[in-house]
Amino acid sequence: MKLDAFAGDQILDKNRRNTLLVVGAIGLGYAGLRGLPGLFPETLELEPMANPPGFRRYVAGETSGGFDPFVGLNMQEPAEAAAMRAAADLRVRENICATLYGGLDLTGSDVPMASFSDYYCPYCRVQTKRLADMVRSGDIGVSVAWHELPLLGESSNLAAKAALAAKRQGAYPEFHARLMRSPFRATLEYLETLARDTDVDGAQLVEDMNSPETSRELEDSAALARLFAFIGTPALVIGRTVVQGQVSDQMIRRIVELEREEGWSDICPAA
Amino acid sequence: MTWSSRLARIHLSCAIALSLLPALGVRPDMAHAAESETFSNPAVTARLVSAEQGVAADSKSLSLGLDLDLGDGWKAYWRSPGEVGLPPSIDWSGSDNLASAEILWPAPERFTAFGIENFGYHDRVLLPIRATLATAGAPVRLRAQVSLLTCSDICVPQDFELTLDIPVGNGIDRSAADLITTFAGRVPSDPDPSIIDTLTAAFGPDREYLIVTATSAAPFQTPDVFPEFGELFTFGKPDIRLSGDRRSLWARLPVLAAGDEIDTISVTITDTGRAVTGAPRVLAETPPPPFRLVPQSTSAWQLLTYVLLAFVGGLILNAMPCVLPVLSIKLASVIKARDHSEKTIRGRFVVSALGVMVFMWVLSASVLALQWFGFNVGWGLQFQNPVFLTLLFLILAVFAANLFGIFEISLPSSLQTRLASAGARQGYAGDFATGAFAAILATPCSAPFLGTAVAFALTGRPIDILAIFSALGLGLALPYLAFAARPGLVQRLPRPGTWMTALKVGLGFLLALTAAWILWVLGGVSGFRTAGLVALLSLALVALLSVRGGHTMVRAGFVVLLFASPLVLVSALEPEPVSPVQTANWVVFDRREIPRLVSQGGIVFVDVTADWCLTCKANKALVLDREPVASLLQSEGLTAMRADWTRPNPEISRYLETHGRFGIPFNAVYGPGAPEGIVLSEILTASAIEDAVTKAGGRSVASSGK
Repeated sequence: MKLDAFAGDQILDKNRRNTLLVVGAIGLGYAGLRGLPGLFPETLELEPMANPPGFRRYVAGETSGGFDPFVGLNMQEPAEAAAMRAAADLRVRENICATLYGGLDLTGSDVPMASFSDYYCPYCRVQTKRLADMVRSGDIGVSVAWHELPLLGESSNLAAKAALAAKRQGAYPEFHARLMRSPFRATLEYLETLARDTDVDGAQLVEDMNSPETSRELEDSAALARLFAFIGTPALVIGRTVVQGQVSDQMIRRIVELEREEGWSDICPAA
Repeated sequence: MTWSSRLARIHLSCAIALSLLPALGVRPDMAHAAESETFSNPAVTARLVSAEQGVAADSKSLSLGLDLDLGDGWKAYWRSPGEVGLPPSIDWSGSDNLASAEILWPAPERFTAFGIENFGYHDRVLLPIRATLATAGAPVRLRAQVSLLTCSDICVPQDFELTLDIPVGNGIDRSAADLITTFAGRVPSDPDPSIIDTLTAAFGPDREYLIVTATSAAPFQTPDVFPEFGELFTFGKPDIRLSGDRRSLWARLPVLAAGDEIDTISVTITDTGRAVTGAPRVLAETPPPPFRLVPQSTSAWQLLTYVLLAFVGGLILNAMPCVLPVLSIKLASVIKARDHSEKTIRGRFVVSALGVMVFMWVLSASVLALQWFGFNVGWGLQFQNPVFLTLLFLILAVFAANLFGIFEISLPSSLQTRLASAGARQGYAGDFATGAFAAILATPCSAPFLGTAVAFALTGRPIDILAIFSALGLGLALPYLAFAARPGLVQRLPRPGTWMTALKVGLGFLLALTAAWILWVLGGVSGFRTAGLVALLSLALVALLSVRGGHTMVRAGFVVLLFASPLVLVSALEPEPVSPVQTANWVVFDRREIPRLVSQGGIVFVDVTADWCLTCKANKALVLDREPVASLLQSEGLTAMRADWTRPNPEISRYLETHGRFGIPFNAVYGPGAPEGIVLSEILTASAIEDAVTKAGGRSVASSGK
């Protein structure tokens, strides 16, 4: 009697153990399926670009391909604007690196980056801020050339011009940060308030906004965007790698490391 | 009433949709589909459709639609896109015989990505367009220059032209008409007295926030609020609350950007299957928040997750210091009765489990009752109630004294005789009480599992609450059920001996310790003088219980009196005023200070604690008061705030609520990098705090940390 009960317990134990094993296996399988993609980092797939030669593209999966290279909203333009565009294309094509990384020291150890953003594009805010943090923390050795690529209509254009005009008074970082941080509608009144807050000469700002230099800078950035066939914003060029869309910090770091190892001097020799 | 008005609402929207189709009576003609060529790329496939295949004689209007089929992960925007973004726009110049074309905007969805609020559409949307012709009954040539921003990981502006010629004729393109009808039904209607009775809006001081209220004949399901105050205003995510009957809505929206002048005022309220856009009545004073948080709609899968969490949480509670003694007592009593039959043992454990469950059900019933009255209930809140604390202390003290052998609990002899005949039943009553007692004692041990499940339950529907509390109870009762399923386990328990007396005293000691802790909490809630009085009275009670002999009735009377007097005492006495203690390096919590400090580039660390919260004490002793966190919290530019929730405090409750928490410990870090705050997990670690502070602060702290 006692023995039977004991044997019964044994059988029960075995059944339970089996059940437990099955449940555990299912649980582990599920956890594996859920966790697996996270265990393997995103693949860094690069594709050489035919144009401009020497550069390569980070392949981000779904977003690549299928789009017409982008030129922005409201394409209808007078012949004069078309001519200016053609001139900018020519100007930029002859001097890609200087326009792309204008003002950056390409001889140092910092990997150069060019960031293209629009103040009205939701993801640009996120990416720009993260890039700025990356530069500030200084732990991965990058320097960034900021390009304004206002693709989203008149307010976006206005904000871009204001930021470039502020640059002439040395207040680009402040302006840029403020425009990116606070939700706003770029109007002249808003920009005037912003100018007061950041100790920028408002009258000079408005004058610079409409200056040929500012226009030229915008044209150059737009020409670069056409040259690299950007489909939208945000977009990045890291060394000689073109990255479109918002990507993770880890991926940016990996590309930066890769660029540091391989170098970019055959494309952008130190002037 | 409810259903009929909802039906009325549905009819209304259909009527609006149908009014777009003036030629509906005409026999469907399958001649040709009235649609433009298709523009397509991975982000969007777009075409222009018309319900009418031809312009009927004397017809002056057309029902058009811009059909947008968005790719996976792509979004398009509403007429007010949110903080940033761009609404679709159509330029009709180049069209023939078109006088005007008005886009009707279907109710938007809210997207939050990386802290940016956007309103728009995903998957599929058709923007219905009400077109008016210049010449009635004449052919129309439509030339639509569409500008559209689409975003996924990247924002791609789309700029394309769609053309559509509509000749003179009759006929309805059924599929286009159905699509237009569907989306026209989603266009918010004008407020109707039968749907939305009142709609008000009021700015808080300095236009820091906007309060919107609305009442509806039909209960709200999953409402969202989209105010539009002109281009210069943008609003953050609303904190939406509903009344108990879900017919009144109150929403608070932070103002992210404000203009000087308000040119248009309109508020759109969306809800499951309905949406309304109207001009609110602008109030000078902001109406107070009357209600609890609105429950988010919950899917079955989500409910299952929470039920599982609650079950695991309940199971873990068994190992908590405040429950383990009860479990041990239960086992001890079974050891004493190990000669009982297997059936009896089985029964006793089942009854204990039932005790746990019944307590949980009583608890969920009270939560439901409180919810009904519009109360906001928080986990562990009972530990802010002095009467509850006193009761718990008395029970614990008496039980401890019993275990120490100071007295034996014995019922009056008459009752005893009666119960003796019932035999085992007395035992069952005790077993039931053990189960319920274990459940009561488990409540303060708010493990991380529990916090999540309970927060969910408290904002949930009645079925959610019941399911979660049942799962919690089941987890807590599992050991009893395990013994019930295999009473053989009891047979394997060690034989009784002198060690049992030692165990009994040991367990008594644990209970006394718990009682002392409860008394200390009571001291925090009601002041230490009150707690001292309660302690004295309970000592007298124990002394009285230990005295043998005397008149039974008189003795019973004294026992009842001594048991009741502390309860009356604590409820009658005003709690002694306790000024918030400003401990070294910690400032007293002030919610309004947080955004001010953050705007100056500072970092704020918030710790919400209470005397009764054991996990908070552990966090304090093991992490907050130790290196490296202690010196990090003292560093320049960092303000450490402590909120003491030992006593009920509506300000702190509301604060926790806005973060979706109803229990503590709660810790959050604010800074320029995280103005919305980074909420830390309930069990703190030094590295988690350091990471959060670095993330919140960006430069200033990263450098001071180095």
